[in-house]
Amino acid sequence: MHSSLSNIRIAGLAVTTGSVVRDFIADGLAAGIDRAALERTAKTIGLRERRVAIAGITALDLCADATTRLLSEMGLDASSIDAIIFVTQTPDYPQPNNASLLHGRLGLSKSAPAYDLAMGCSGWVTGLHQASLLCAHGGAARVLLCAGDTLSRLTNPGDRSADPLFGDAGSATLIEKTGRSTPLHFVLGADGSGAEAIMVKQGGARQPAGPLTERTDAEGNRTHEANLVMNGPNVFSFTLREVPGAIESVMRHAGYSPATTDALVLHQANRFILSTLAKKTGFSEAQTPMSVVEHFGNQSSASIPCALIHGLADRLEAGPLKIVGCGFGVGLSWGAFAGEIGPLTIAPILSLPR
Amino acid sequence: MTRAEQLAALRTDVDALAQADEATVLAALPQWDSLAILLVVSHFEHVHDLEITGAQVRACRTVADILNLNSSLS
Repeated sequence: MHSSLSNIRIAGLAVTTGSVVRDFIADGLAAGIDRAALERTAKTIGLRERRVAIAGITALDLCADATTRLLSEMGLDASSIDAIIFVTQTPDYPQPNNASLLHGRLGLSKSAPAYDLAMGCSGWVTGLHQASLLCAHGGAARVLLCAGDTLSRLTNPGDRSADPLFGDAGSATLIEKTGRSTPLHFVLGADGSGAEAIMVKQGGARQPAGPLTERTDAEGNRTHEANLVMNGPNVFSFTLREVPGAIESVMRHAGYSPATTDALVLHQANRFILSTLAKKTGFSEAQTPMSVVEHFGNQSSASIPCALIHGLADRLEAGPLKIVGCGFGVGLSWGAFAGEIGPLTIAPILSLPR
Repeated sequence: MTRAEQLAALRTDVDALAQADEATVLAALPQWDSLAILLVVSHFEHVHDLEITGAQVRACRTVADILNLNSSLS
């Protein structure tokens, strides 16, 4: 699906991460993995360290902290927010949703709707599209988009194919209605036939919480039914199949080319995927921020806002920059965007608790 | 691309196969893991412009079986 929305802007960005730094090599050595094998993986995938949340800190807490810091930085009161959209697959409870809990915590107006989007790595783009719709056509002047997860809680420490990848983070993005007519373009899609490539089987209505049986796969990775299990090679195949086309399509709608675009900002899955996607779409590595994954890990739906801040903060604050981006992952799903972003307000990346 | 050239390109791109020949049994290689499978998927995409799945690579017993994927798909 293609959609172009005008009279909106991203006004501010903030990201809060978990506070515990986990070192990929040290963790692997402690798990009995050979150092040469760890260094080979670290070099290929781009893993160095990640930041995970301590017990008791949830995606809601991380996003609430990012929101509070961003509002303070912008000199805004929470009562000025007309709607909250919360993108997460690790909510505090099955009911109520995280958006309602944050609505109450921030003391928002009763006229401000609050809803969650149950999406992962593509979710920030879908949330940005929803927030832009509310501002462009829905009567909202300012929408808060929160996106984040604590996926490190879902992986099994015995699963070396998934556990070392994920960091925990929450983001806050403010989208505002403006008089500026430069549109933001979106291309969104899904392929549900591949849904089982990234899955947590237990904990929903189909397979409620119950006894857990740990299994060991052919490579020695251990998982049980409540773990996030990922078929890495199939997710990689999906990414190569769908993401370059989505990026090229959204660039066509925007009239952009790699030469006229300032940056390609992708979901920070791992350096190998980012490098492959940049090459396939004609972008240089210098145009493509890739450092989030080696400093923070794969942060699910918070990774694009984190890459915008970590890689481009100064230039975005001075803005505007022509940005092309794409989120992709669980679903399987993807969302690409293209447009001018900035000047905007950025709150620095901090951890919680501090 | 001859079969020998295909093997040489595969050995260059997938470090787990750097010393392998066609008869090498994949499961016997210490570095044959999900990362190596991902590198094979990537190799087929950029060298042969062919999309293969992780399951197809996992089903291969030897290096020759991987090379045969190319002839069966192209």
